[in-house]
Amino acid sequence: MFSTIRSAAVIGIEACPVRVEADICDGLPQFNMVGDLAPEVREAADRVRTALRNTQILFPPKKVTVNLAPAHFRKEGTRFDLPVAAALLAALRIIPENFLQEVLMIGELGLDGSVRPVSGALQTVLLAKELGLKTCLVPRENAKEGAVTGGIQVIGIGSLKELMECLLFPDTWERRAESVKTWKGQTVSYPEDFREINGQKGVRRAAEVAAAGMHNFLMVGSPGAGKTMIAKRMPSILPDLTLEESLEVSMVYSACGLMTNKEGLMENRPFRAPHHTISPNGLAGGGRRIRPGEISLATRGILFLDELPEFSRGALEVLRQPLEERRVVISRTSGTCIFPAHFQLIAAMNPCRCGYYPDRERCRCLPGEISQYLHRISRPLLDRIDICAETARIDYKDLTGQKENECSASIRSRVEAARKMQEARYSRPGCRFHFNSQLPSAALGEFCSLGSEEQKIMEAAFETYHLSARAYHRILKVARTIADLEGELKIRTGHLLEAVSYRVLDQKFWGE
Amino acid sequence: MENKIENIRYIPRSDSAYPERLKVHKGMPKGLYVKGRLPDPKRPSVAIVGARRSSSYGNETARLFAKELARAQVQIISGMAWGIDGVAHYGALEAGGDTFAVLGCGADICYPKGHQSLYEKLVKKGGILSEYAPGMTPRPGYFPARNRIISGLSDLVLVVEAKEKSGSLITADLALEQGKDVYAVPGRRSDSLSRGCLNLIRQGAGLADCPEVILEALGVFPQKNKQQNKEQTKILLAKEENIVYSWIRLQPVSLEELIQKTGFPPGTLRSLLVGLELKGCIREIQKNDYIRTD
Repeated sequence: MFSTIRSAAVIGIEACPVRVEADICDGLPQFNMVGDLAPEVREAADRVRTALRNTQILFPPKKVTVNLAPAHFRKEGTRFDLPVAAALLAALRIIPENFLQEVLMIGELGLDGSVRPVSGALQTVLLAKELGLKTCLVPRENAKEGAVTGGIQVIGIGSLKELMECLLFPDTWERRAESVKTWKGQTVSYPEDFREINGQKGVRRAAEVAAAGMHNFLMVGSPGAGKTMIAKRMPSILPDLTLEESLEVSMVYSACGLMTNKEGLMENRPFRAPHHTISPNGLAGGGRRIRPGEISLATRGILFLDELPEFSRGALEVLRQPLEERRVVISRTSGTCIFPAHFQLIAAMNPCRCGYYPDRERCRCLPGEISQYLHRISRPLLDRIDICAETARIDYKDLTGQKENECSASIRSRVEAARKMQEARYSRPGCRFHFNSQLPSAALGEFCSLGSEEQKIMEAAFETYHLSARAYHRILKVARTIADLEGELKIRTGHLLEAVSYRVLDQKFWGE
Repeated sequence: MENKIENIRYIPRSDSAYPERLKVHKGMPKGLYVKGRLPDPKRPSVAIVGARRSSSYGNETARLFAKELARAQVQIISGMAWGIDGVAHYGALEAGGDTFAVLGCGADICYPKGHQSLYEKLVKKGGILSEYAPGMTPRPGYFPARNRIISGLSDLVLVVEAKEKSGSLITADLALEQGKDVYAVPGRRSDSLSRGCLNLIRQGAGLADCPEVILEALGVFPQKNKQQNKEQTKILLAKEENIVYSWIRLQPVSLEELIQKTGFPPGTLRSLLVGLELKGCIREIQKNDYIRTD
């Protein structure tokens, strides 16, 4: 008696089809599971057998063989409990085989026969849809997350008993299917708002420019000046996620089992703030079972690195390729995975080790120590930061005064307008970039052309500040964003000069 | 390494090249190790010394004095330490003047290490002097000792920033013993970095509020044309730029303060500031901290 059930494994953030085959025949009673299985998959044997017994199904003393095909790659996780149980039920002819090939299923079993949630439900449902299947069975807690894709029936299963009922009566599928939640795209609310930040007008403006052009942003300032507060509020001034963006984010979060939104897709832009002790693999992704790292969890959102110089050099160097390519490729002996890394980098650092330079009444650092501290950040990484601003020392007045500060929503409306201008400009075929920060240097001449007066200013700035070619390009891109914020088609002198003020200062200035 | 030592000359006291200025005092070294040149005995020289953990105000002042003095063909002598010493050397080099460092270790050793580029420039454009043989590593006791050579080689000692108990005050004391003039740059009474200088002034040191005071004391009178340049730039400033410029002093002012004081939106203010910096009226000494340049 043989049967087969469709299921899927998740490798990285992609699902790939797996067939669960079960054979029950006469022989010495035993339960064998084969097909390159991790220990937790092998343990399914005990869970399934006990769960079946606790659902009042008599398990015959026969020789049972379960194979997970294709057998050439490693299967991990607990998502195969449910398909193994279903395959056994079908092999025992308890459930009919007629409709089984139209169904794909995943889920973890408890000993009492209940079905527990698993990670990676979203990509599994997407795969089922791609394969042209009619129905996908997922644990009840994962049903909403899967249903968002649409075009396929997603049925939430709460227990083994429910699974049997479902497979016995295919005519009830339509009734059982989770209703498809349409993407609202409505404004989401964030717990933090820019209204709560008193003073810091200079940095607020810098944050706005950074958000408008998706520029990477570095804040320098004394401890307690509000760098983290500002970074935390960055997602609240970014435009809402589009459906495609949300799918991208949700894919990563689903694969990691981090879906916070029980109602479907991720709606908030991610904000990730890893501690500075993080390893390069923790940041980029990796491990024996390849998992996305922090930069992929921050995709379409903010990656905030507080205390930038304290991060290990290896961890920071890992950021370079993803910052250029907006994705990260992880190669291990077990295979290669590509994860999205479409994040905006926000970094914060103290001006020196003690944090109080240039206040010489408090700072006891020697100039050499200060430059040593700054040199910990490699030039190539600084080269990828477009905007640098200092948080000001806070007065008592700023701390206590109840002032009317601008709220995030009003900043966001300006950011959205600037993003629209970029969208319109870069929407024509052949443009493979969407934001000013992504402009390749070859395209600068076309999109950031300068008048003669502006050119003169840039020439003067180039001479005065000893700019590098890269720095020059960065200034043009930021100037483009500032012009977009003001709704201007041409870059004017004022925009350029402001952009120059955001440049990352040469280390020689700091160290002197 | 060998090459480094080869470039070092030893000049014993008996040598005619041995600085006359040192010969007249007691307790001077039996000989000097020199990399580069020795100070020109015919030209006036001034020692600029001060705190290692100096403020940006101190740095700007030291740079300004060194530049102006070097322009007037005065040689600048200091100790190549962090802070005021280093900035004074840099200032003199910027003006194309001659500047000399007296080290507390062998003349082949760059101490502090971070001043490697300054060390190399000094070898080319001035000289590195030491009473210690090549290869001798810096020791705490060597530094106060080399101060007597710094003051001995100079006609005048200028202290820019010093705390109440500072190595620079040792140099000033030695200078007085050697009968040299001592000048100090005043600072705010609230700054601990001004205490040493203010004490010196109370004890009778000269008050150096501008480089001309030093030049006068040395009896050097350079031709004046700088004043005119300054006025020309002033005329070119637009009205808004002038408002911003008027708020910027020699003490650093932060962007946030300027936003409060001028009332300009941050974006506009930033472009005005960069405009002013491009015209050479102000300088951004650290991210978003601005000072006036004289």
